[in-house]
Amino acid sequence: MTAAAATDATLIAALLATKLPFVAFAVILVLTRGRPRLSAGLSLAAVTVSLGGAAFLLVRHWGLGRPIEYAAQWVAGGDVSVRVGILLDPLSLIMLAIVATICFLVQVYSLGYMAGDPGFSRYYAFMSLFAWAMTNLTLAATLLQLYIFWELVGLASYLLIGFWYEKFSASEAGKKAFVMTRCGDVAFFLGLLLILVHLGNLDIRELNGPAAGRMSPAVVTAGALLIFGGIVGKSAQFPLLTWLPDAMEGPTPVSALLHSATMVAAGVYLFARLFPFFALSPTALGVCLAVGTVSMLTASTMAMVSRDIKQVWAYSTISQLGLMIMGLAAGGYAAGVFHLTTHAAFKALLFLCSGVFIHAFHSNDMFVIGRQGGRRLRVPAACLVIAAAALSGIWPFSGFFSKELVLGALADLPNPLWVAAGLLGAFLTTYYTFRLIFILLFPAQKGPEKIHSQGAGHNHHGGYAAMAWPLVVLAAVTVVLGFGEHAIVQFLSRPFGPVPAAAHHGWLPYAALGLGAAAVWLAWFEFGRRGAAQIGFVERVAPLHALFSERWYIDRAYRWLLDHVVYRVLSRMCAGSDRKVIDGAVDGLGQATASAGGIMSILHTGMVQYRLIVVFVAIVGLAIYFFVWEHHGR
Amino acid sequence: MAVPFGYVLALAGIVALLGICCAVARRNLIMILLGVEVMLNGAAIAFTGAALRWQQLEGQAFVLFIIAVAAAEVSLGLALIVYLYHRTGSLDPQDYRVLK
Repeated sequence: MTAAAATDATLIAALLATKLPFVAFAVILVLTRGRPRLSAGLSLAAVTVSLGGAAFLLVRHWGLGRPIEYAAQWVAGGDVSVRVGILLDPLSLIMLAIVATICFLVQVYSLGYMAGDPGFSRYYAFMSLFAWAMTNLTLAATLLQLYIFWELVGLASYLLIGFWYEKFSASEAGKKAFVMTRCGDVAFFLGLLLILVHLGNLDIRELNGPAAGRMSPAVVTAGALLIFGGIVGKSAQFPLLTWLPDAMEGPTPVSALLHSATMVAAGVYLFARLFPFFALSPTALGVCLAVGTVSMLTASTMAMVSRDIKQVWAYSTISQLGLMIMGLAAGGYAAGVFHLTTHAAFKALLFLCSGVFIHAFHSNDMFVIGRQGGRRLRVPAACLVIAAAALSGIWPFSGFFSKELVLGALADLPNPLWVAAGLLGAFLTTYYTFRLIFILLFPAQKGPEKIHSQGAGHNHHGGYAAMAWPLVVLAAVTVVLGFGEHAIVQFLSRPFGPVPAAAHHGWLPYAALGLGAAAVWLAWFEFGRRGAAQIGFVERVAPLHALFSERWYIDRAYRWLLDHVVYRVLSRMCAGSDRKVIDGAVDGLGQATASAGGIMSILHTGMVQYRLIVVFVAIVGLAIYFFVWEHHGR
Repeated sequence: MAVPFGYVLALAGIVALLGICCAVARRNLIMILLGVEVMLNGAAIAFTGAALRWQQLEGQAFVLFIIAVAAAEVSLGLALIVYLYHRTGSLDPQDYRVLK
């Protein structure tokens, strides 16, 4: 009785948490588009219920041993069966809590940030769509269900990047994000089909259980690599990484929610979700490790030369996602997921702080913001420093603990190359983070006083409070979360049995902290100290600077590929076949009809009296026929 | 019956044939209409003769209807012809071949 009641409450909470945002989305789109305040209220109410449900589930099932699954048959035929349902295990519970929390805080923050925007209702509708899709993705019990919501979050991302669609660059960026992630998703879908054919179903638990071991190793490797293609697209890993910096065209809260904390982390989440499956194939893990490493390092170098404050965080997101994938691929399941958790908090905080600056100074350029007196905004500046310290992995902020775990997992690998790459990445991360902080807070020369007061005047905007307190909450989470490391790691690892005692790397924290201190010193020397030239060492080497700021020429390569292969060969072939085959067939049909009509029109004399003659001849003929027939009939 | 019914039918046939010839052969819209009227009269003669032959009044009643319909038809037809003449300036049926 009590057990049944308990599961009922769990099921109801899970359903409420995952389904209500869709109701809000539909109601806003259909009924309340003309009433921005009501729309925002609906959306916030839905996401508050989601947050409540997620918190309830997390608290109730803290220490969950065996996963809970509610599922129903959806498609069944022959050897193939696909179910839909809800899967609750430590990973999905934590991810749901992250998603609901960040969604809630970002929606509150948006009350201030988006105030007065003509598309206010539309914004909240899309935010609800995203919240619905993302929570359902998190709790999906089968891969097909996950894939559906995976595409839906992609749709929400497209809609929100291109939210200011009047701006050409924004709609272009939306399209770019959509197409590039779709490239990865095709691979993902092929992987799903491969697994469906060989396993007969797509249950995540089955895939992670012993049943997957019955598939041949080649199939497992191929399936894992194809699914990893989807992860590469969604998490903006090498070589599909250039859509994420462009996605910063969207409103800043969107960048905070979708393009740093939750949606792009869905790729890493999928990796963690299928971790035991990936672990069956050492080859696939090796590829993942390499891709993660390359993404982390290239994105870090790009961040070192960018002047756009949001672009820096975008590159940093790519690099941190790469680090998570490295950690997971190195076998550090809990390490990767814990880094995902802490990263969600501090990266959302970074974006939201930057959003306050951008909102106040109407510029994305960190030099401009610094010159106009960015540090006068005390709360965002303080929160920005906290988040940056967490990103750089400085004790006692949360990033320190999670990064140590990931680096520890890398150090467990036999090849020391990986941990060296990880440390190098940590060094670069700290360097570019503090470059931004120093430029922002210690500008080389002050701007005119007039702009100062204008900037400070924005403090007293009505929306400032709505924007400030999510920052404070996230900053508090960032400070505290690191000390929950042990509990969270224990909770995450429980389904995999007791945690084996990891090899202790006593030197690692000191090495990481030493490198971090060196990076901070370097950034201070170049950007922070009085009279510094504010020119980084990369910018002194022209070819390197060009390489980094051109994003390693990846975009150029894509452009070349588009121009020379897609447009010149593929499109031309398609256009030719369209013109000759399809247009030809349709035109031919029309011409054939016309010429047949020409032949038939010979019968038409266009002369009424000839028709009369025919009528009379027919009558006479019939009369004769009946006359004769009548006589024979008698 | 003073005149044999066969004669009456023969007369009706001749009148109808004349009407047919007129409707088919003349190259004038008014004459075509006239031919149709003549054919109707032929039919009316046949009806009248049959009514007399079998002593039934329905045949004569039918003739009244034929005359009424013929009058209506000729007025409508003439109106159409006048309109066509205004539009095209021709009464030759060979000139009306727009639909070909």
